[in-house]
Amino acid sequence: MLQKKICMLGGFAVGKTSLVRRFVQSIFSETYLTTVGVKIDKKSVAFPDKTVDLILWDLAGEDDIGSFRVSYVRGATGLVLVVDGTRPATLAVALTLRERVEAEFGAMPFVLLFNKSDLADRWAIPDGEIDELRQLGWQIYLTSALSGAYVEDAFRQLASMVAK
Amino acid sequence: METLRQLLVGREISELSRVAHLLDEPEQLAAAVGSVLPDAAARASHAQLGEAFAPIVERAAQRSIQKNPRTLTDILYPVFLPAIRKSIGEKIDQTFQSLNESLRHIFTWHGLKWRFEAWRTGASFSEVVLNHSLVYRVEHVFLIDRSSGLLIAHVTAENAMSEDPQLISSMLSAIQDFVRDSFNEKEQSGLDTIRFGELRLWSEVGPFATLVSVIRGNPPEELHEIIRDVLLRIHDEYSQALEHFDGDSSQLASVETQLQTCVELKHEESNEGFPWLVVAAVLLVLIPTGIWFFLSWQSGQRWQAYVSRVASQPGIIVAEQTARDGQFYIAGLRDPLAADPQSLLSGTQVDPARVHANWQFYQSLEPEFVLKRLTASLAPPDSVRLSVVKDRIVAEGEANATWISRAQAAAQQLSAGGPVFDISRVRDVSPEARAAEHWQAYVSRLGTQPGIIVAEQKIRDGQFYIAGLRDPLAADPQSLLSGTQVDPGRVHSQWQFYQSLEPEFVLKRLTASLYPLKSVRLSIVDNRIVAEGEAPDTWIDRARAAARLLSAGGPEFDISKVRDVSPEAREAEHWQYYVSRLEAQPGIIVAQQTERGGQFYISGLRDPLAADPKALLSGTQVDPARVHSQWQFFQSLDPKFVVKRLTASLSPPKSVQLSIIQGRILVVGEAPAGWISRAQAAAEQLSADGVVLDVSQLRELNLAELNHLREAIQTTDIFFSSGRVVPGPEQSPVLDRLADQLKEFAENARKAGVTARFMLTGHSDTTGRETANASISAARAETVRALLNKRGVAPELLLVRGAGTFEPAVPENENSRTGNSTNRRVSVTVNLE
Repeated sequence: MLQKKICMLGGFAVGKTSLVRRFVQSIFSETYLTTVGVKIDKKSVAFPDKTVDLILWDLAGEDDIGSFRVSYVRGATGLVLVVDGTRPATLAVALTLRERVEAEFGAMPFVLLFNKSDLADRWAIPDGEIDELRQLGWQIYLTSALSGAYVEDAFRQLASMVAK
Repeated sequence: METLRQLLVGREISELSRVAHLLDEPEQLAAAVGSVLPDAAARASHAQLGEAFAPIVERAAQRSIQKNPRTLTDILYPVFLPAIRKSIGEKIDQTFQSLNESLRHIFTWHGLKWRFEAWRTGASFSEVVLNHSLVYRVEHVFLIDRSSGLLIAHVTAENAMSEDPQLISSMLSAIQDFVRDSFNEKEQSGLDTIRFGELRLWSEVGPFATLVSVIRGNPPEELHEIIRDVLLRIHDEYSQALEHFDGDSSQLASVETQLQTCVELKHEESNEGFPWLVVAAVLLVLIPTGIWFFLSWQSGQRWQAYVSRVASQPGIIVAEQTARDGQFYIAGLRDPLAADPQSLLSGTQVDPARVHANWQFYQSLEPEFVLKRLTASLAPPDSVRLSVVKDRIVAEGEANATWISRAQAAAQQLSAGGPVFDISRVRDVSPEARAAEHWQAYVSRLGTQPGIIVAEQKIRDGQFYIAGLRDPLAADPQSLLSGTQVDPGRVHSQWQFYQSLEPEFVLKRLTASLYPLKSVRLSIVDNRIVAEGEAPDTWIDRARAAARLLSAGGPEFDISKVRDVSPEAREAEHWQYYVSRLEAQPGIIVAQQTERGGQFYISGLRDPLAADPKALLSGTQVDPARVHSQWQFFQSLDPKFVVKRLTASLSPPKSVQLSIIQGRILVVGEAPAGWISRAQAAAEQLSADGVVLDVSQLRELNLAELNHLREAIQTTDIFFSSGRVVPGPEQSPVLDRLADQLKEFAENARKAGVTARFMLTGHSDTTGRETANASISAARAETVRALLNKRGVAPELLLVRGAGTFEPAVPENENSRTGNSTNRRVSVTVNLE
């Protein structure tokens, strides 16, 4: 059994919870987020030779970076950075969070999800910016919690990265 | 060569010498090694380096502690303090838990049961309480990586359910982090305990992994230590793997066996329910054995009942009996005539097949068996009835002589040890036997007759012979034959006369010989012949003689109750009566009395006031001429006589009464002082004789007025003219007054209980002859008496005397021719009696 702790980071209302709701095993209700500040879910990703259990720590998203509980990230081997594609500010939040985590625990694999891709009309992130980030070698997915597009791919990608 | 070498390896040589120099110089070597040591250590294999350094570090630590323990203590302080604090906390929790549980159960039914258990097992009460109340089960154990919160291993108890353990372990770490962050807790240990209803989550934090146990129920605090031990062991064994845990738990699969030991921890109330199986098994064994015991007991009881029944049978003697292995053995003796022991078995519920009897026959000597045998052997006729009376076999009825003789033979045989066979009540019905019977009846009739003694009697050849003694006064044996059916012609009697000493015969003979008078009655009282009544001494003498004759062997003849009626005896009787009469008299003491030659002599003391002994003779039929008395007078101290004497000597006034009260003489009343003093003197005299004369209650007579009157009377003189014996007329008023005074005085004195008497003394002057003067004085007194009498004074109260010239009122002048007129007078003096 191989399992990895993965933290999902993102600003307020970027759709982290919605992302996992459909694709993961969960036993805890969303109220944990507002009470304990964290919600644990699991996503099993099967590869031909092994199965990786991603233990997803869904951290309560807040725009106030100062209140972010870094301690929750301890022991994590990967990150899922979630950005709301309709709100450019959330990209900055995600990046800031990543920086803080890396400062604390060192660099670790991550995937960057631009969520709410279904809301094309309200999309506010220029493609050039995304490409720039791709140039850095980052794994970037335009996902939709609504349609489910690229969600599986993103988790699979992250699983292969952490299970190496 | 050297040059060549210099050329070829010269640079190397110099380098070599530098290195050698470096190695030779410790300071330089230390500097060289020191510069590379950290890097070398970092590059060295961890395991090897650890191995190499371990002894050095240990020694270094040892030295450090020896040098100054404080240094290491200071270093370790932050590590130990939380551990110590936690351990103490747990201990305190443990104590509280024990106390809480003890208090909670102290007064409950369980509490009582557990108290008993504590007493039984010797454990303390709180231990027992914890043992029972701490019912728990470890349902899950999670071994969680400390840094990532990832599940390393998870073990579940049987039947325990939980959601995804991976998620749970992560969430647990998340919550730990949450608590730590929320309350700024710097503690390394993290969250110890989470409790939710019946469930408890205990987490033990190790260096790399946290062991979380999910416990249902009420675990003892000691469980912490057990879990901690497991965690420590896991850390010992898998420290490498734990340290480098990267989410791949395949290397740590064997941890689960360690965790399994935790899950097996539980304490369940021994709620095994009622042990039906055991009870059933026990019952299975007990019931048949119980039934078996009951049956054997019951059959034993029945056997015993049978044995006692057999033993109580007449003619059966049980010598031995026993019950063994369900078989019954009995042995003994039985009379052939007795009941069959076998037949007695019926109705006893004793199985006859299991009874083994061994009976010996014997002849029972019990009367009923003897009776049976006698009945069989003697074949008694119908007129004879055999029966058992008080262990004796009695034959009654009539039978002929042959049967009787056979029965007698049988009786003799029986006599050895057996019951008595009494055939005496079988009457021989043969004529001879009848005649003999009648004869015996006649003989026994004679034997009961008083005055007849049968000495010998026999029957021979149909003739009856009898010999003996008979008193002539007894019944005639011949006449007694009548009615006995004995033929007088066949009776030959030979009677000797004798005197029976039986009281009635003696009485008869005495009556015949003594011819007692009518006044004497003879009777038998307790085998004694008693004579009562009166008889002259001649008869009594004869009776006495007869009594003396009788005394040898015969009954006693008592004549003491016959009174002698001869004259002397009667006179003596009369005399004794007189003497006893005298003795009963008060004031007479008979000292001696005797009768001699028809004369009676008596002497003694008599009070003069007592009755006259002579006078007492009258009516006693004693001839006074034959009585010779000699009495000495004495004063009896009997109060009655004392009173008599006092009355005679003191002549108490009428106002005084003498009485005898309880042996004392009491004088009560009023009396003149003079009389009282005389009475007191008498009392003193009498007290010497032991007689009490109580005069304390006497009161003096009040004579004050009388005294005054007496004074007036005694100072009155009646004067006379010279030679005259009649007072002149001028004296009449004086006489009148005097008469009145005398009468008054006499009257008053009488009232006071005394008698007043007045002495009239006549006086004369000295002129003339003496004899004339004496007669004149007496005459003058007589004249005054008459004059006073004439004036109503009772003459018996007036006494007269003539004093002549011897009591002159004034001394006479010898030379006077006319004499003194004052001395020619009559004076009065008063006497009280």
